[in-house]
Amino acid sequence: MLSFRAMADGIRISFSDVAKRYDLRVIFKAVSGEAVAGEVLVITGSNGSGKSTLLSILCGLLRPTRGEVRHLQGDAEIAREAWRLHLGVVAPSMAVYEELDAMENLSFFARVRGLGPSEERCRKGLLAVGLDPDRRTLVRGYSTGMAQRLKIAQALLHDPAVLVLDEPGSNLDPAGKDWLEEHVRVVAAAGKTVLLATNDPREMEWGSRHVALAV
Amino acid sequence: MWRWLSEALAVAAKDLRTEFRTRVALNSLGLFALTVLAAVSYTVGPYRISAEDRPFLLAVLLWIIVFFAALAGLDRSFVKEEESHTAPLLRLAASPHAVWFGKLIYNLCLIYALMAILVPLYCILMGYKIVLLQSFVITLVLGGYTLAVVTTIIAAIIARAMTRGALFSVLSLPLLLPLMIFLIQGTTGASEGTTETVTNTVRAVLSMGGIMTIVSAVLFPVVWND
Repeated sequence: MLSFRAMADGIRISFSDVAKRYDLRVIFKAVSGEAVAGEVLVITGSNGSGKSTLLSILCGLLRPTRGEVRHLQGDAEIAREAWRLHLGVVAPSMAVYEELDAMENLSFFARVRGLGPSEERCRKGLLAVGLDPDRRTLVRGYSTGMAQRLKIAQALLHDPAVLVLDEPGSNLDPAGKDWLEEHVRVVAAAGKTVLLATNDPREMEWGSRHVALAV
Repeated sequence: MWRWLSEALAVAAKDLRTEFRTRVALNSLGLFALTVLAAVSYTVGPYRISAEDRPFLLAVLLWIIVFFAALAGLDRSFVKEEESHTAPLLRLAASPHAVWFGKLIYNLCLIYALMAILVPLYCILMGYKIVLLQSFVITLVLGGYTLAVVTTIIAAIIARAMTRGALFSVLSLPLLLPLMIFLIQGTTGASEGTTETVTNTVRAVLSMGGIMTIVSAVLFPVVWND
């Protein structure tokens, strides 16, 4: 059970009447909801309903055509530059560097995130997702499942307060999916905010709040 | 400050490492430069230009090769990130200024590597005599820097556009043309031994490089994030 203090300091993402349109094509309109610390907000909807687009908007990577997205810690608005430091994202549209190996990828992200001496952290991160830190194969030689594991390790590397997962279980084997489920529950229980876009019935059950998008 | 610099160096090191593994930009720059150099040295050569015209015409040819080789290779720095879908994670992980400065360092490394090979080769093959060697090197260094600054910010702009290939040349040429004219004058001056011409060129290129650095630093976060 989380203390009141831990929950109060957690990060909230509040969004109201959010709409996105590309030229004349309406992706979704008037979507509202809130993601709070300690809970998993699940975004569902059929293919093309705009789940990934909504996640990108909630992450601050895309501007909505209409509506408001607020990133809050307590009642204070989080500045844009500080916001990105809180985020860990896994999404099909975001790739790691194929010309680097897994350890080089994580070391690079650790350096640009200012995590300091990071070899031990990177090794632990890779071992946690079931990848061998000593394997020097470039990511371009990885299976899609291994690449997905690396993307998850990258997202968790800096222990983010907000974890954004877009179809995180895709390409993972059953053991990987079990580990992911367990980890998402641990992260949420630790007072982190989790956003999850999925159509997988098993992943939908991880959430305590749901936003359903219609085509 | 140190953290920002460390982030920028990480971006540059990552780009150099991936470039040495794929050699896309290096091949574009190198092949263009060496092909044009071979064609120019074969058709024009050291003796087909009169001694009187040589300082100016050889300076023109040198900078044409450098500029167009740069245009062929330096736009890759940001386009590669967008095409391989690594840009969103980089956008989330690194500060915009660190990305800009890291990419600038990477482009500087490429352009200086190109110059280090191309210019001595060009001087030997074309029989290009330089009277003021120090001024010539300063002109090259400043020219390479300003060229890298301009191409870095334009590469960032065009990476987010659909018609990338055409746009890079269209946006670059108006900015690079004055620079090219100054550099040709300075190089001619270094070849003829006229210190005043070189000094004026250094002042002009230094100003241009400074202005473009400030404009790029201010503009880049908007281009990168929006």
